[in-house]
Amino acid sequence: MSESIDRDLTLSVNGIAYPVSVDTSRNLLSVIRTEIGLTGTKEGCDDCECGACMVLLDGQPVNSCSYLAAQAVGREITTIEGVMDGQELHPLQRNLLEEGGVQCGFCTPGMIMSATALLARTPSPSDEEIRIGLSGNLCRCTGYAKIIAAVRRTADES
Amino acid sequence: MTVTEPHPARPAPRFVRADGPDKVTGSGRYTADLSLTGVLAAKFRYADVSHARITRLDVSAARAMPGVMSVLTAADVPDVRFGPFVQDRTLFATDVVRFEGEIIAAVAATTAEIAQRAADAIVVEFEPLPVVTDLEASLATDAPLVHGDWADYGSAEVVVRDRNDASFSSITKGDAAAAMAGADVVVSSRYVADGCHAAPIEPRAVLAQWEGDKVTIWTSTQVPFDARAGVCETLKLPANRVRIIVPHLGGGFGGKCGFHYEAHIAALARAAKRPVRLVFSRREEFLAPDRRREGMIIDITTGMRTDGTIIARSGWIAIDNGAYTADAGFFSQLAAMHVAGPYRVPNVSIEAHLVYTNHQPSGSVRAPTAPQACWALESHTDELAKAVGLEPVAFRKLNAVDTGAEGPSGQTYDEIGLQQCIDAATANAGYGQELPDDEAIGVAIGWWPSFSVPSGAYVKIDGDGSGQIITGAQECGTGAVMTLRQLAADELGMAAEDFQLVYQDTSVAPYDMGATGSQTLFNNGRAVVNAAGQIAEQLRKLAADHLEASPDDIVLADGHASVAGTPTATVSIAELAGIASGGELLIGHGSGQPPGPPPLVGSTCVGDLGMAAFVAPQFSCHAVRVKLDRDTGVARVLAVSTAHDSGTIINELGALGQVEGGVLMGIGQALTEGTTYDDQGKQRNAAMLEYKLQTCADAPPINTHFVQIATPDAGPRGAKGLAEAPNVATAAAISNALAAIIGRPVRRLPMTAERVWETLNEEAAR
Amino acid sequence: MSLLIATTLDDALAALAAGARPIAGGTDLVVGARHGKAPLPASLVAIDRIESLRTVGRSADGGLVIGAGVSHHTIETDSTIGAEWSALADASALVGSPATRHVGTLGGNVMNGSPAMDTGAPLVVFGAEAELASGSGSRRVDMATLWVGPGRTSAAADELCVAIHLPARAPRSGSAYLRLEYRRAMEIAVVGAAASVTLTADGAVDSVRVALTAVAATIVEVTGLTGGSVADVAAAAEAAAADQATPISDLRASDRYRRHCIGVMARRAVEAAARRASGETIAIPVNRAVGIGMAAGAAS
Ligand SMILES: Cc1cc2nc3c(=O)[nH]c(=O)nc-3n(C[C@H](O)[C@H](O)[C@H](O)COP(=O)(O)OP(=O)(O)OC[C@H]3O[C@@H](n4cnc5c(N)ncnc54)[C@H](O)[C@@H]3O)c2cc1C
Ligand code: FES
Ligand code: FES
Repeated sequence: MSESIDRDLTLSVNGIAYPVSVDTSRNLLSVIRTEIGLTGTKEGCDDCECGACMVLLDGQPVNSCSYLAAQAVGREITTIEGVMDGQELHPLQRNLLEEGGVQCGFCTPGMIMSATALLARTPSPSDEEIRIGLSGNLCRCTGYAKIIAAVRRTADES
Repeated sequence: MTVTEPHPARPAPRFVRADGPDKVTGSGRYTADLSLTGVLAAKFRYADVSHARITRLDVSAARAMPGVMSVLTAADVPDVRFGPFVQDRTLFATDVVRFEGEIIAAVAATTAEIAQRAADAIVVEFEPLPVVTDLEASLATDAPLVHGDWADYGSAEVVVRDRNDASFSSITKGDAAAAMAGADVVVSSRYVADGCHAAPIEPRAVLAQWEGDKVTIWTSTQVPFDARAGVCETLKLPANRVRIIVPHLGGGFGGKCGFHYEAHIAALARAAKRPVRLVFSRREEFLAPDRRREGMIIDITTGMRTDGTIIARSGWIAIDNGAYTADAGFFSQLAAMHVAGPYRVPNVSIEAHLVYTNHQPSGSVRAPTAPQACWALESHTDELAKAVGLEPVAFRKLNAVDTGAEGPSGQTYDEIGLQQCIDAATANAGYGQELPDDEAIGVAIGWWPSFSVPSGAYVKIDGDGSGQIITGAQECGTGAVMTLRQLAADELGMAAEDFQLVYQDTSVAPYDMGATGSQTLFNNGRAVVNAAGQIAEQLRKLAADHLEASPDDIVLADGHASVAGTPTATVSIAELAGIASGGELLIGHGSGQPPGPPPLVGSTCVGDLGMAAFVAPQFSCHAVRVKLDRDTGVARVLAVSTAHDSGTIINELGALGQVEGGVLMGIGQALTEGTTYDDQGKQRNAAMLEYKLQTCADAPPINTHFVQIATPDAGPRGAKGLAEAPNVATAAAISNALAAIIGRPVRRLPMTAERVWETLNEEAAR
Repeated sequence: MSLLIATTLDDALAALAAGARPIAGGTDLVVGARHGKAPLPASLVAIDRIESLRTVGRSADGGLVIGAGVSHHTIETDSTIGAEWSALADASALVGSPATRHVGTLGGNVMNGSPAMDTGAPLVVFGAEAELASGSGSRRVDMATLWVGPGRTSAAADELCVAIHLPARAPRSGSAYLRLEYRRAMEIAVVGAAASVTLTADGAVDSVRVALTAVAATIVEVTGLTGGSVADVAAAAEAAAADQATPISDLRASDRYRRHCIGVMARRAVEAAARRASGETIAIPVNRAVGIGMAAGAAS
């Protein structure tokens, strides 16, 4: 059924339904950060270039800064807060730390979301596939080498 | 997914950051993630023109808008001119605006949209003034002045100024002119570098709240104490009424050094009687801060003997200061040192000018002046080698400084590892091997000082035996603060994981200069070792009492205090901490004496800001394999090999991260990152789409070797700084690879595909 | 602003008739609004959940029908498109990042009408047609008729692009799309070229079409190319592309450099298309397999 959305909408984030009342021109990132109150997803640019805002929509990566919140109604949104396995770090999170893939950490949530989506569709990626898979996430600190190593290790371990 | 044994190809986990879990789970808060009840949104009204006199400024319409809680201009804050080297800046534009990102007014309103509309509703009228953009033209005696009142400004005593030259510096040693006249071979080159940006992924944010006459400011600064000093100076407040707290910081690279918008936001919050928050857009991040990497013109002339020995070097450097001097005052001397280079040059004459323009102000971005100057010098060095028929690496080995040698400013080096760096980087790169067509390995060497400054820390062990380090140091991602845990732990025979850190809060911890100048571990490490040492002494006394032994015989190891030679006589540190918690608490504080500057012999420096003598100098060699697409000029970096002498490496994983990040930034500077201006001095590419950082798809494998020499008069255990050095030589090495393929250097930085293509065409046209 | 999430074509067309603008992935529309290029329209209809727009299927004559809502990710990984309409897969594989490719659609790319759109030149060389539907019926237009200027199409405001029709490929045909990019990902075409080549039995070029990205107000087709040896045709394409391009100078490149590079791209596109036509497999996207896109770390 087609659905007309005005202000009131419900977003499902990390398995929890959040009713919010927002202007439908609002982007998903600002609603996640403000109304829903999950600030793990970051904002790093104005032109959809940095990937700090990456979330998963039905398992696929999307730049939440450039996606209408209203368009996400009825889809499952996963943010960095939904990645942990109960109280345990997800292997990707742990490997990023152990391989040294985290410095300032500002790119890290988005990077983890992209890497999660990559590993879901390509469980044993080549280094080139990792590079391309993470190419929408800018990191200014690490030079990417240790992030690539962490993703590689996560793939190898699973 | 199952958890398995550590990856077979890699060593077991080495260093897990104390802030790591916050960062990988999204629970760590950065400044823009914070809010307070009643918080207002701030927006600035920018000049949007590069040079003009304000003829009318009317904020009444903005003030009258519903939801607007405060609007401030220069008239509403104390009349203070500030700046660490030249006092040429005010919080708000007063009479004249000098670059497009200059702030004319600030607005706080109930929503960001209202604040923006109000900022737009401020009426500003200008009378245009001539826009100064060209460095050489700006130095002409009849050039329009960027600061008509320059002569009346206060400045640090040693700064040598004249009209648009905000800081002149020179290095003179021997007689360069005479030596040049007698040289067998003389080569002159001009290289021109565009400015570029630090571009941390976190745009800056500030949140301020007043309680009574005290203000707390959460801000994304790399230098909280500096930020506090700026607030105190401009708003005329004592230091103890201003508290700066830095939440997690999303990178800085120098871009977040200095004092920025803390005072504006504090002033807005005071006027509105509400907390106020500023969050920059990326566009503002590009346009407004006074921390852009400086464009430069570099002329170098070198005289050699036929065998390739360098006997003289002269140079002339113009550095784009932009409209205000910010912390760039010492750039002229730094640039001069980098054009002189880590070479044995007996006769030197180099002049550097820091030139006002109507561009965004320059400021310390990761190894300020060095990547550009090194790019110029090292490209020139390959030209020198060619001129005397020497292979470029052999030429460097012949002329580069070494232990006991005298450098260009008359400093004689203790044990240093530059020659070993050259050997290691080139060997690991497979330098000299046969390569496919249109590929080459370029080599460059670089150097960078360590910064020796005061710094303090406290350490305490609580009753349960867990430790806290309370430090003024600032973590911007490098891991330097994280590594302090290791130093304290080693001092106390505990594990790094036994310590948590309280850091970047000016009201809680003693002074530290901040995450700048690669100085954190170098100086704060000393402070932490000192503080932990005091506790170690306390523990030895307690253990001696408990074990009925002499304190001198107590060994602290593995979380225990034991009597040397009597392993059964042992007590856990936790138990001792429990005892201490009932009496004399386990508290240590430290700062220690920063190492002094090394002596210089035989050189004279005008405009000497302390940069001619390099404390604990760091050295590096980068060898970069590049492939060129001849048809288009597009270059790709295939592999990078680096070697660094940064003294003792205390945290290898963290150190590798610094090198790899610095290299990638260097690749960006070499190929894709450059600010372009229109003829009115406005930035044309103030967006990430058009200002191109390297992506993961571009990232080459990076091999790194550390030449570890425990350096005297350095940081803890003989460590030197590290965070900036890796950014120095990469662009230069790429330049030399390209020149090897093309047959001549690309003389503009960044060496964009189009510029490479133009260079190829010039060659074809010859 | 109001948003209708349409699940049927009829609902979407009714919304368009009532004045709504379509939004598919929003990677042009929302991004453009965010950095201030154009504000969002007051009324939007989301078309990304209309299943019929999201399918790829063979047509009776052996051609292909790609729903307008098909994502770049689907195109880049679809084995039929990769094998027979390789240039389109080459193009979609270059769009933005994995996220852009998952969200962004072919219809959005085409209807956005940017002269720098990557799928445009491939569609032209394939002789593709866009199917436009409205409440009053549907029509098919070729690409040259569709694009009338930068960001402008000849579609009426109430017309929705529902599908792109690709004619069947002749035997011994191959195609390729290349673009000039300064980084290996997250680029906008500085210039780009697509070629479709059909070979004779003895390996010469029987027929060739070449189209160019980002050198004119719209995607343009190179005229006057005829058959011959691969080398001759590639050289002719290089000269003709450089000659017929009318590039501008902007931040990304000067007109002079663009004119030079468009020739190089056209030549390489013909060469790669001919290799594919002769049965050789070149990985998608061809950009990363030849010349400028080579992998970092390719040295070993
Ligand atoms: C980071 C980033 C990188 C990008 N890189 C590239 C690139 O490399 N190459 C490239 O070509 N593009 C690129 N783009 C642009 C964009 O992603 C593509 O053009 C994409 O295909 C647009 O599809 P969409 O579904 O997101 O379009 P939308 O934004 O939803 O729509 C675009 C326009 O088309 C209209 N529209 C959409 N669907 C239809 C339809 N079925 N019928 C009629 N009108 C319709 C909309 O009203 C709107 O005007 C990039 C964008 C971003 C954000
Ligand atoms: S915030 Fe940068 S891509 Fe979304
Ligand atoms: S860790 Fe700082 S941007 Fe990636």
